[in-house]
Amino acid sequence: MDFSFTKKEEQFRQELRTWLEENLPEGWLAGNRELPEDEEEYSAFLRNWQKTLHEGGWAAIAWPKKYGGRDATLMEEIIYQQEMVRVKAPPLVNYVGIHMVAPTLMQIGTEEQKEEYINKILIGEEVWCQGYSEPNAGSDLAAIQTSAVKEGDKWIINGQKVWTSFGHLADRCFLLTRTSHKEKKHQGITVFLLDMKQPGVETLPIVQMDGKKEFNEVYLNDAVAYDADIVGEVDEGWKVTMALLMHERTGIGAQVFTLEQQFEDLVKLTKELHVNDQPLIKDPFVRQKMVDFYTRFRGSLLNYYRHLTKTLKDGHPGAEGSMDKLMVSELTKELFDYAVSVQGHQGVLWKKDALVDSYWQDNFLQSFGMTIGGGTSEILRNTIAERILGLPKDLGR
Amino acid sequence: MDFALSEEQEMFRGYVRKYLDGAGQTKIAREFAKGNTDGFQAIWTGLADLGCTGITIPEANGGLGLGALDLVPVLEEMGQVLLPGSYLETVAFAVPLLEKYGTEAQKEKYLTEIAAGSRSMTLAWLEPQKGYNPEEISCSARVEGDSLVVDGVKVLVPGGEQADSYVVLVRTDEGLSLVIMDRTNDIEVNAQRCIDETLGLSELTFRQVHILQSQILGPVNQGWSVLQEGLLSLNAALTSVIVGGMEKVIDMSVEYVKIREQFGQPIGRFQALKHRIADMKMELETTRSLSHYANWALESGEADCEAAIYSARTFATEAYINVASHNIQNHGGIGFTEEIDCHLFLKRARFYESYLGSSQHYKEQAALALAW
Repeated sequence: MDFSFTKKEEQFRQELRTWLEENLPEGWLAGNRELPEDEEEYSAFLRNWQKTLHEGGWAAIAWPKKYGGRDATLMEEIIYQQEMVRVKAPPLVNYVGIHMVAPTLMQIGTEEQKEEYINKILIGEEVWCQGYSEPNAGSDLAAIQTSAVKEGDKWIINGQKVWTSFGHLADRCFLLTRTSHKEKKHQGITVFLLDMKQPGVETLPIVQMDGKKEFNEVYLNDAVAYDADIVGEVDEGWKVTMALLMHERTGIGAQVFTLEQQFEDLVKLTKELHVNDQPLIKDPFVRQKMVDFYTRFRGSLLNYYRHLTKTLKDGHPGAEGSMDKLMVSELTKELFDYAVSVQGHQGVLWKKDALVDSYWQDNFLQSFGMTIGGGTSEILRNTIAERILGLPKDLGR
Repeated sequence: MDFALSEEQEMFRGYVRKYLDGAGQTKIAREFAKGNTDGFQAIWTGLADLGCTGITIPEANGGLGLGALDLVPVLEEMGQVLLPGSYLETVAFAVPLLEKYGTEAQKEKYLTEIAAGSRSMTLAWLEPQKGYNPEEISCSARVEGDSLVVDGVKVLVPGGEQADSYVVLVRTDEGLSLVIMDRTNDIEVNAQRCIDETLGLSELTFRQVHILQSQILGPVNQGWSVLQEGLLSLNAALTSVIVGGMEKVIDMSVEYVKIREQFGQPIGRFQALKHRIADMKMELETTRSLSHYANWALESGEADCEAAIYSARTFATEAYINVASHNIQNHGGIGFTEEIDCHLFLKRARFYESYLGSSQHYKEQAALALAW
């Protein structure tokens, strides 16, 4: 058992830390982390950040060197996430491109596809989105209905996608379509690399419960793609989808490290807030609850490290990632609920009127998406029960 | 980054498991509860032959000279079978205190005999109707020549009837001290009924019992702080025992819901059960992580050692009750019977939650360790 980092890993951390200090947007480290409200400016800001990352060699560290990456080890990826969380770095606009699409193309794409897309992903010239969920295919992803039909040399695509992050900014989409109706619904799915900038594609923002617009609906009306845009084989897209998921080898590391930071913030809050001239953290009920949170956040971090150790030994991530995701997302929800609760009757005040900082109210609202997106808590419990404990599958699946 | 037990540690677990399987697993505890304790004594000797009693004892005293982390897999296995008696108190309380504070003579006698399996020890701290505060100790040791004369009553002593020696918290002239008292006919030992009948709790009565002053363990009048040190390693080890128990409980639930059929299918196909068992598994794995880290922090003297141990203990004790309770529900009617082991684990879990301090008490300890 050993929790230390090697000298080489520490050097890597220091190199990144120094680079971040010199290259983060003006005023970022000092706490000026407001992102532009205007959509155009927002997009330009994030694309610019990706460009800066690329120029420093920090955009796609896990990629092979020949594609412009660093061949980073898994531990270096972990350190990368820790450091990005530490400085609350701006979001990566091309997350889907860098962490999912490009690695998948490197593995199973054609030479032409590699040539055409990988470098543009790296330098931020093309932003990607993921066309997975549909109104009637959420947790049951294989139930997708968006159809692709071959007409001459074209594939004509019709249907609707939802929950597409960065859909309105994206240039291309990693799109799941149904190309044939077979006995089992996960057969007959084909993946296309769809051009988003065409008349048959329309995106509409989804307004979330917290007022933000992070997702889109994507309407496909006779959108066009070609044979050259297919990843893998026709009707064999499910395998491609699974392969793509395996490239997320650090699992939910970023969220685990973020939770650690959020917990520390909550400790500060309970020290700053006073009731009857006494810091909240001195109240026996608050102390007990805070020890609960401390223990469970430590537990989630340590679980993550234990699963990471297993991934390092096995060479690939296992089903344990579903435990990490379940625990961290549920705990985040509870933590922000409590953070609002300790602010008493003024806890409901929002935005400019927030008692301390709207960070708490914003994250409270935001946290409700965490136990849904990327696998609902219910699906994760099924996975834990079936894949880890070996319980029988539900009928109908 | 390597957060896993070593191959050697896992191999040692294998030997212990094989031995305890051969001994009938929870059969040992069931027999013990009926008063048939001979089998338990044989098991103790068998475990000592495997090296289990001397893991952390120096080689010079006949032990294996290993660290706290090497106890972990063994304690987990003990937890799986609900081993009765005071293995925990012997290896994780008496041994570390003897190593740190024992005189040469004490080490020579006690550590050597513990490693050889010929002596077990337990902790006698609490008193009738009293709590966990130092002021509440009235059991006393008065100096008389080169002797101490001990008077008082101790309760809730695990494995009190089987233990060969007691580490007793007594009031001395200017504070509290720990003394080692060997089992003699002068000490009156009475069984106390406990809902966990597999433990063997005792009440000890001392009426003018004479012991030598050289039986004091650690600095005189500093017994309270020495006790706290002992509690750190005891609680770290306790979490390991709990991990073993929880693991067994979850295995029981998983196996049962795969076999039991209702409405024409295994009940494990129903999400009401599936999701509950997934949550039980999460509690187990979180307890395991906290427990392994706590023991590692203890062995390597990390700065967050106290917070890690107290928080792991409080989480573990609460989680154990949760999973043991769910296990009964998952089994339905048969889970409520004496015949199936479910209740044994619940009763043990219930015991540990309040053992040497409630989970509330240890949460406060954790808060203090975090400087809140």
